[in-house]
Amino acid sequence: MIGDGVEVRVLRVGKDGVRLGIVAPPEVRVHRREVYDQIRDANQSAVVSAGKLAQVAERLTKAK
Amino acid sequence: MNPAPASTETEITVSEAVTFPDGIPGFESCRSWVVMAAEEATPLRRLHAIDGPEASFLAIDPRAVLDNYRCDLSASDRRRLGAGDTDPLLWLAIVMVEATGALTVNLRAPIVINPKTMTGQQVLPHNCLYPLRHVLVDAE
Repeated sequence: MIGDGVEVRVLRVGKDGVRLGIVAPPEVRVHRREVYDQIRDANQSAVVSAGKLAQVAERLTKAK
Repeated sequence: MNPAPASTETEITVSEAVTFPDGIPGFESCRSWVVMAAEEATPLRRLHAIDGPEASFLAIDPRAVLDNYRCDLSASDRRRLGAGDTDPLLWLAIVMVEATGALTVNLRAPIVINPKTMTGQQVLPHNCLYPLRHVLVDAE
């Protein structure tokens, strides 16, 4: 158990690795670190300066 | 005052600040965002953080990218947004400018906003087959 209500379960132990399950209350978000990191990197590359927004929007509109 | 954009049946307008209780990955301290129509083009929205570090995105309804886009919200995501089963939600996919100059859109982890509670979050569905970087415009 981790704190209140978060539980780590070993679902399967195989030759290739261990499969873990996380049981958590609905208000706790559970994500694999690498998935979270991928989304974070994508978000960080999405920031567009105010000046460039119009330019990006124009390219998108033209491509339609 | 700007004239209101032409609205369609499905269009949802969010004009006040939307609370993202967890921020979004990479911008965890940005809890308050506004969604504006990007005046340059209608399907595009501008997502702008009004607290925390500077963050301004272009975003687009994922269904404007792929007609049959479908992504199920988990019961806990729904609860976090305070959304019932039939509440209309605003879906936005974040547009990215790649180092190559290509424009891509994140269809894997969309932003979902409930206009009724003015609450939003970026959902990270566990079984989503859509790409994280779906190409919209090739490199120049």
